[in-house]
Amino acid sequence: MAAFTYAPAIVLLPFVSFLVALFAGDRMPKGGALAGITATGGSLLLSIWVALTVAGGDVHNEILYQWTTSVETLQLNFGLLLDPLSALMLLIVCLISFLVHIFSLGYMNDEGETGLPRYYAGLGLFTASMLGFVVANNLLMAFMFFELVGLCSYLLIGFWFRDDGPPSAAKKAFLVTRFGDYFFLIGVVGIFATFGTGLFAPITQGGEVVAESFPMLAEHAIVDGETAGIAMLETVGMGPQQWFTVLGLLVLGGVVGKSAQFPLHTWLPDAMEGPTPVSALIHAATMVAAGVYLVARMYGFYALSPTALAVIALIGGFTALFAATMGLVKQEIKQVLAYSTISQYGYMMLALGSGGYIAAVFHLTTHAVFKALLFLGAGSVIIAMHHNENMWDMGGLKDRMPVTYWTFLAGSLALAGIVPFAGFWSKDEVLYEALIHGFGTEGGLGTAYLIAYAMGLLAVFFTGFYTFRMVYLTFHGDARSDTARDPEPVRWNVKGPLTVLGILATTIGFINMAPVAKLTGAEIDFLHKWLNGPENGGWPAALNTGLHHYEGLLHDVSHVVKGYPLGETPTLLASAGVSLGLALAGVLVARTLYAGADPVEHTDKLGGLKTLLMHNYYQDEYQVWLATGVTYPLARVMNKFDQGVVDGVVNGISSVSLFGGSRIRRIQSGVVSNYATLLTLGLVLLLAAFGIMGGWF
Amino acid sequence: MWVAALLLVTLLGTGLVFLSPDRYAGKLAAAISAVPALGSIYMYWVYLTQYGGTGNALLSPADIAFGQQLPWITLGELEVSYYVGLDGISMPLLALTTVLTTLAIVSAWTPIDERQSQFYGLMLFMEVSLIGVFSALDFFLWFVFWEGVLIPMYLLIGIWGGPRRKYAAIKFFVYTNVASLIMFAGLFALVFSTDLTSLSLPAMAEAFRTASGLPTIAGMNLMTISFIMMFFGFAVKVPVFPLHTWLPDAHVEAPTPVSVMLAGVLLKMGTYALLRFNFTMLADTARQLAVPLAIIGVVSVIYGAMLALAQRDLKRIVAYSSISSMGYVILGLVAFTPYGMGGATFQMIAHGLISGLMFMCVGVIYNTTHTRMVGDMSGLADRMPWTVGIFVAAAFGYMGLPLMAGFAGEYFIFQGSFNAPTLGGAAPVLTSLAMFGIVIVAGYLLWAMQRTLFGAFSLETDYEVSPAAFHDVAPLAVLLLLVIALGVAPDLSFAMIQDSISPVLEIGGGA
Repeated sequence: MAAFTYAPAIVLLPFVSFLVALFAGDRMPKGGALAGITATGGSLLLSIWVALTVAGGDVHNEILYQWTTSVETLQLNFGLLLDPLSALMLLIVCLISFLVHIFSLGYMNDEGETGLPRYYAGLGLFTASMLGFVVANNLLMAFMFFELVGLCSYLLIGFWFRDDGPPSAAKKAFLVTRFGDYFFLIGVVGIFATFGTGLFAPITQGGEVVAESFPMLAEHAIVDGETAGIAMLETVGMGPQQWFTVLGLLVLGGVVGKSAQFPLHTWLPDAMEGPTPVSALIHAATMVAAGVYLVARMYGFYALSPTALAVIALIGGFTALFAATMGLVKQEIKQVLAYSTISQYGYMMLALGSGGYIAAVFHLTTHAVFKALLFLGAGSVIIAMHHNENMWDMGGLKDRMPVTYWTFLAGSLALAGIVPFAGFWSKDEVLYEALIHGFGTEGGLGTAYLIAYAMGLLAVFFTGFYTFRMVYLTFHGDARSDTARDPEPVRWNVKGPLTVLGILATTIGFINMAPVAKLTGAEIDFLHKWLNGPENGGWPAALNTGLHHYEGLLHDVSHVVKGYPLGETPTLLASAGVSLGLALAGVLVARTLYAGADPVEHTDKLGGLKTLLMHNYYQDEYQVWLATGVTYPLARVMNKFDQGVVDGVVNGISSVSLFGGSRIRRIQSGVVSNYATLLTLGLVLLLAAFGIMGGWF
Repeated sequence: MWVAALLLVTLLGTGLVFLSPDRYAGKLAAAISAVPALGSIYMYWVYLTQYGGTGNALLSPADIAFGQQLPWITLGELEVSYYVGLDGISMPLLALTTVLTTLAIVSAWTPIDERQSQFYGLMLFMEVSLIGVFSALDFFLWFVFWEGVLIPMYLLIGIWGGPRRKYAAIKFFVYTNVASLIMFAGLFALVFSTDLTSLSLPAMAEAFRTASGLPTIAGMNLMTISFIMMFFGFAVKVPVFPLHTWLPDAHVEAPTPVSVMLAGVLLKMGTYALLRFNFTMLADTARQLAVPLAIIGVVSVIYGAMLALAQRDLKRIVAYSSISSMGYVILGLVAFTPYGMGGATFQMIAHGLISGLMFMCVGVIYNTTHTRMVGDMSGLADRMPWTVGIFVAAAFGYMGLPLMAGFAGEYFIFQGSFNAPTLGGAAPVLTSLAMFGIVIVAGYLLWAMQRTLFGAFSLETDYEVSPAAFHDVAPLAVLLLLVIALGVAPDLSFAMIQDSISPVLEIGGGA
């Protein structure tokens, strides 16, 4: 397929823009922005072409470049896997990156920023790395690009390096995610050592499988008992399902770090120190999605392990709730959005854990759109407010920046989950999947699902509340500062991307109106069809990455079963009704408390709870304590030990020999008669010794 | 012939530079050292394109590339010859040595401002010895070069070093010399217990491998005792915990170009010798002792990294982190798998390039700021953007960023040791513990960068801080490009390494 031939250019174009911006950006108009816009625009067009080709039923899974060829038993490769999932993700990443580049013209260039080449180089490298991650056909390649996006995140968070905050936040972001990546790396090495491959999907030639994928090998081992070729099981002394669970959980470490899930979520709010377009692109829509995308990418592996599924669902449900509560009291607009991002990724994890593969990908898609929109909207507000982010200094911006307001409102309605905006459809599906699988599945897994569901459901209320608290404080009421009374106007380069995203946030939910589809029988659940593929044959049979295959595994291996406590249709309606009702309740409470002309801080009524929430449950404090209160002092003690004991022994040995030398030197007195005495004495002793040993006496 | 030409040109150059006036010594030395550098790059290219599938120099002497053997002297029954040659293990190390020497000489132009002709003469003399170490295939010849490295190193630290240079130089010299003695004793115990007639390394490998009926001393086979003595001797050079304390002192006192050579090449002498002697000649014993040796490696990784965390001197940070990185090499060697041993060898090259690059970066900063203490400066990115940019890239390379050489080396080692038959059930556990090094290394490098490179600019000086000169930054850029090239296409070195490692894996335990 021609589209697949040109697919590597999707990754390479932004990489070229990185080089151009870095080395020639200062000699170009707009500091390299045009290179980035051209490159991401080109990538977007190519991605559309790829998506259309995939829509025609073609998929692609080929090795592109052999990283190492010299070890025959295990070759490490770079390859492309283009199937509906990666094609969708390519579209998301290219679109958001393209829009963010344009928005940056308003946010960075128009604000008189220096260091623009560095900024656009960072964006270019990030986009290239992210796209490389998305198309990766094996786990090692995915890991490598996963790390590279981490580097770009570091560079862009720390973009304003002359201040104290950004470098510190950048360090924290890289370090916390690195901690997760440590487990991920063990998982990668372990999966290669176990299966001898890291392929996500089998490579076929003419219908024959020439290279099997690791999820399929794992499936054969568990389902068919084909464990003979897996030497690793003997090394670790575990059964296949047990060991694969361990491997899955290790990889999950990287997911938890990158997708900012509890307990490694603490870096994301700090990452807001970076420029706002960066927050929109990296820390909301794409890089943070990498973790969730990875779980979806190797879903055939996770579906084999009920334990891993339960852990994913519980982490997700808990994070969704936990982060939402922290978002309730924040005063800075980007902080609210940051906690909201953590919370929303929690929903995706909840969906993945509870068997809602489509729901997770759906929510990932809608969230990428509406959260990028909200961040860019916040960016527009921040431009208007001369980089003051405190919502208590805003107010009344509704009339002064209508484009920003209406698009932001669309994004907020989507985030809160109000029908018919995008977030309603996806979040509803997430909760619905968790609910029915929680009722249907027996034993601990089902209980875990129901607990996770309950947490996710409660978070819906908080989401509605913090979202509209933000909307009311920012845009409604009277202006509470001089800048809010006379905000800086924004130009087309800000309004354009907002408008595109605003329209999408309103409409993109229609790609998968599953409840409507079920009720009316109309075949409008397009995303479902997209990821499911043809029921027989076609790409799902070749790649085994189709929904149908995953559902089979969930049902047969992990025993995830659907259950309808009220019957199918009433459950569907009840679930949607309850989550919509809670979201509306949250919005209404926010309206009651903050919609007035001159709202007051109600958070003080929370008392001690407010302190706890403002301090984010002391999560940061304990992690900083682990670093500076435990690890660093331990290093100091070890340093003392090294200087005192290890080196002390070395110096001690040399002192002993020096001391011994100085004593023995006294024999060298320089007096001839002494030497004569010693000579004679020595000769006598030698003779005596020889005599005794030789038996002369 | 090629190796002899490299040795001769460099040796003649040494004399020439010693006699040249100080003003021209730096440029002259750079020009002269470019000859072996270009020569070895040409040899590398020839090797890459013509010597595919070449075996191990010690195990299949017929496959030796650029080999040359001339009879030299006879010691009793033992024949000593001038015997040199290369294989896939020594070829990359030779290229590393010559390229790094040239770059180190260029990087010395700014900081070295007295007795230049002697400084550069000694640098070239050290290069002669290092070329010899990596190409000699006769033990006697090899040992002459091995010890020959110590003399210029001792003088370079002792004359051009920092305030405590004498202590550091003597410590370095005595420590490594005592280690050599123990190694020598251990090796010769074996030489005299077998019926060797030649001191050539292939002959030794053959004799030791087939040795039988060796005496037992205090319940231990002589083979084991010799292995331990030799391991001790070479481990000091690597260095591994707890034999490492000479290293930070030497690095801190040594002038930066010398640190570059010390970290970039001299440490690899230790691991190279371990690979050649302990892990090739005494492969069976190495397999038996794999678990304790792996533990030493893992402890070095974590211990070195933790100590780096406690340092405030940028050079000490990099010095301790070298201990950590070289610990990975030990872990890879004991694995006796293609990725393990091959990765360990690859890591020698990767670490040589990256640690050299890191030391050069610290040096360029020191040339400008005259301090290396983390607390004494901040915000350098504002004044030296390109230097800092390369510094950041180098630091991420050190942290194991993919598509840079360090990641490839470390990943290969982890992959090779995770299910290593020699380590049994301990393999995944030990490997996972060693991997934690990648978290700690990120901790101390990110911390140091945040404090020195970023934030508001501050440095107490009475002059303007300006970007570094072109000839200071150019070597950094060259090294960075090499690091990226090997990270993107590791097979540039890894393929030839595999060719020469696989015979080692086939002998002995045969796993």
